Amino acid sequence: MVYVLKRFVHMIFVLWAVATILFFMFRTMPGSPLAAFLDTTTSAEQQEALIRQFGLNKTLGEQYWLFLTNLIQGDLGQSFFFRKPVTEVVMGVLPNSIILMLASLIIAYIFGIVAGAYLAWRRGSWVEGVGIPLVLTTRAAPEFWLGMVLLAFFSFQLGWFPSGGANTSGSDWESGWQRVTSLDYISHLALPAITLAIYLQGLPLLLMRSNMLNVLQEEFITMARMKGLSTSTIVMRHAARNALLPVATAFALGIGGAVGGNVVVETVFSWPGIGRLLVNAVAASDYPLAQGAFLMITGVLVIMNFIADVTYHLLDPRVRDATR
Amino acid sequence: MLLEVRDLVIDYRATRGRVRAVDGVSFDVPAGAVVGVVGESGCGKTTAVRAITRVMPSSAVFASGSITLDGIDLVPLSEREMKKYLWRDIAYVPQSAMNALDPVWRVGRQIEEVLVDRGGMDRKAARTRAEELFAMVGLESKRLGDYPHQFSGGMRQRASIALGLALSPKLVIADEPVTALDVVIQRQVLDTFTELQKQLNLSVILVTHDISVVAYVCDYVVVMYAGKVIESGPVAEVLDNPAHPYTMGLYNAFPELGGGDRELSPIEGSPPDLLDPPKGCRFRARCPFAIEACVSDPPEHQVSAGHLAYCHRALEAGALRETAIKTATWVGVASE
Amino acid sequence: MQHADTIVLPSRSAQLGAGIIRWFKRATAIPRRDPFAFIGLLIFFAFVLIAIFANSLITHDPREILFDENFDLARNLPPGGEHILGTTFSGRDIYSQLIMGTRGALLVGVTAALSVVTIGTVIGLISGYFGGLTDTLLMRLADIALGVPFLPFVIVLAAFLGPSEWNVVFGIALLLWPQSARVIRAQVMSLRERAFVEAARVTGAGSWRILFVHITPNVLSLSFLYASIAVGWAILTEAAISFLGFGPSDSVTWGQMLQDAYASQALGRGQYYWFIPPGLCIIAIVVAGFLISRGYEEILFPKLKD
Repeated sequence: MVYVLKRFVHMIFVLWAVATILFFMFRTMPGSPLAAFLDTTTSAEQQEALIRQFGLNKTLGEQYWLFLTNLIQGDLGQSFFFRKPVTEVVMGVLPNSIILMLASLIIAYIFGIVAGAYLAWRRGSWVEGVGIPLVLTTRAAPEFWLGMVLLAFFSFQLGWFPSGGANTSGSDWESGWQRVTSLDYISHLALPAITLAIYLQGLPLLLMRSNMLNVLQEEFITMARMKGLSTSTIVMRHAARNALLPVATAFALGIGGAVGGNVVVETVFSWPGIGRLLVNAVAASDYPLAQGAFLMITGVLVIMNFIADVTYHLLDPRVRDATR
Repeated sequence: MLLEVRDLVIDYRATRGRVRAVDGVSFDVPAGAVVGVVGESGCGKTTAVRAITRVMPSSAVFASGSITLDGIDLVPLSEREMKKYLWRDIAYVPQSAMNALDPVWRVGRQIEEVLVDRGGMDRKAARTRAEELFAMVGLESKRLGDYPHQFSGGMRQRASIALGLALSPKLVIADEPVTALDVVIQRQVLDTFTELQKQLNLSVILVTHDISVVAYVCDYVVVMYAGKVIESGPVAEVLDNPAHPYTMGLYNAFPELGGGDRELSPIEGSPPDLLDPPKGCRFRARCPFAIEACVSDPPEHQVSAGHLAYCHRALEAGALRETAIKTATWVGVASE
Repeated sequence: MQHADTIVLPSRSAQLGAGIIRWFKRATAIPRRDPFAFIGLLIFFAFVLIAIFANSLITHDPREILFDENFDLARNLPPGGEHILGTTFSGRDIYSQLIMGTRGALLVGVTAALSVVTIGTVIGLISGYFGGLTDTLLMRLADIALGVPFLPFVIVLAAFLGPSEWNVVFGIALLLWPQSARVIRAQVMSLRERAFVEAARVTGAGSWRILFVHITPNVLSLSFLYASIAVGWAILTEAAISFLGFGPSDSVTWGQMLQDAYASQALGRGQYYWFIPPGLCIIAIVVAGFLISRGYEEILFPKLKD
């Protein structure tokens, strides 16, 4: 438990540090709100909005304090474009991003783990010779390019999937849950999720394969054979279970990392998530919204790293007891 | 006779070529007896003995020979048929239980797994039996819920023994079961093991490089060197009257298990490379009693009932033994 | 890896020269020994050559809007004839854009890779060698850098500092140094205790000298490996930034080509010849980086116990 506490404190520290960096970025860099404020071409209305949002007429110290206190209370200011609280706008689209992330991670990891175990089993065969280069290619390709190719082929050419958005426009749903589990939503989710999954599966696949290859050399696997256990039992219950541990950590870490990939994929498919929100906010110079979206993305990243740490710690009985 | 191994030949495919790790090995295991297979590392004892279970590294090639268990030759059996014998008739106790137990499964669960999967028991019956087994080896049943890394070395070895006995096998193969433990624990584990063996009338093949363990525990001994059997017979007989120079040297090289202060003298030199073994007697280069004749294969010599030795000078064994006891005999031999 | 007879203590200029050569050889040992790395290097140098001779290789000016014989806009032409890869929606030659894009890619890639690896190596060296408070502080800094989401950061950077390739370089240098720094730090910590360092200390060499003359050559091969991955990362990032619209508008890059294709509805028109080649080029360079770095070596070919 001490370990969990330590990691938690560490997480808070990093969150604070990044929030502070963000604070300074949005106020002191050229091109930031402060610069816009000082720029004579901004309208009076805009200037007023900037003062209100960022307290630009106060000292930097006062601004920082205001920023932190507001942040803790969940107040991220008001979006210029939407004229609504930033928190509200961000929370509105966050579920879409999380769903996309989870869907793609789950697909990627299930595929990666199974394929990785299979490749390990078929060591030295042609399957390996073809599989490995293919996997390397998926790791080397830009995710948005993968998305473009899939979009062009499966949506425009074959017409199997819609070409953008999360729901067909004009559709109406009784509740958020209903909307999200509807066939309409899922068919919109399919291509972006698959695109991200193609990119993400490389890691669990190679990791699982590598772990399996090591585990299959271990003495307890020989023992399992001595016991006369069936091959599937040995592979799945013993080899895979041991090989899976590092992959499980990678999963939680992958959540944090997928956030960045989200940005481009959401843009390609016009998926209304937080990545796309950030891009649009930045393009429209909607500083409060941009700041808020960035903070939210960071928060997800850091929290996920924390969960990853703790999960691995709990999953591996050896590590758990060593730090008891 | 429970197990008869005849003319076993096993090769390894190495990058440099084929290594004949086991070259015509034969021995018997009577029912209810403890047979020690002793020799230096690399002499082929583990390979020969694991061949009985047929679980070997993929580079191992079974060249020829027969392995007869209760009258059935195991060699021509298919993988699937052979699997039926595993653990039910032939069980295996490994050298290092730390590596032999799955680190992420609780120990109790690993025992129950074998009972359920191979013994056809239901979970409750398996649980009871697991507790029984632990009691037999002197472990508390609450330890069943622990993970392997929570056990001490001696406890882990006991757990391995319990695991091995799970399905009441006829034959237990123990591969260096106490080598990784310190001397005091060694004795305790061996005592437990012997007690169980007598109680359950198990047949045991005990592989070791330590002849004092053989002296302590075994009924029969098979001495191997460089892939061949060089002497075999009842333990007391072979150790009191060794007929092969190597056996004579082995006994000098180890402290007695029961404590004792005999002067130690290791056998100088190292075993031959089995990629290209020497002609004739393989011990020739390190033997203080080697003669011209030793360049040809040594004949089988029956020293007494059940006691065989493979040496050209087996008839002079009595005189050689006298010389062998002196440490000076063994110094400067390998330089030949 | 270290033998007593290769301890280099340059005290005379002749020895200094020989020492530098040996230093360099040690640093580049790994890529020279490995066939996969060799292929990677070949691919990489092929692109370098293309970039150098781009002007001779292109068939048209990549930014020139072209017209056909009838003075109509030569737009969306399929591959063939004058246009090896066809033309874009605005009538530009795709093949020429692809060739010219090599320059932008390599420029960003190499600069970013050099920057991030230099920072990572220096921090790794200092952190690993001096330890203590310096190490703790630097590693906390690394944690913070790792806590910042990469692409969003570069987007905001690009938005504030204006569209330019250098934002990508800047962003990478600021946020991605921890990867190499940590590995190099670990290596330095193990080297620190080795005999040759002791020997150098005994002969009175100062800390900084030991660090740069003795320890650095041994970690440089690691730096090189990270640099080759970093090139790929940089090119991917530049492509993403350009695709999102925050890239430079005056030069032709592969990311830009993709952005142009997307915005001009090339997907709907099935103009695969437009957007597939830039992607393939990116894949090629990134894979080359993987091969050179052998970063996947342990993963692909773990040592088998016999």
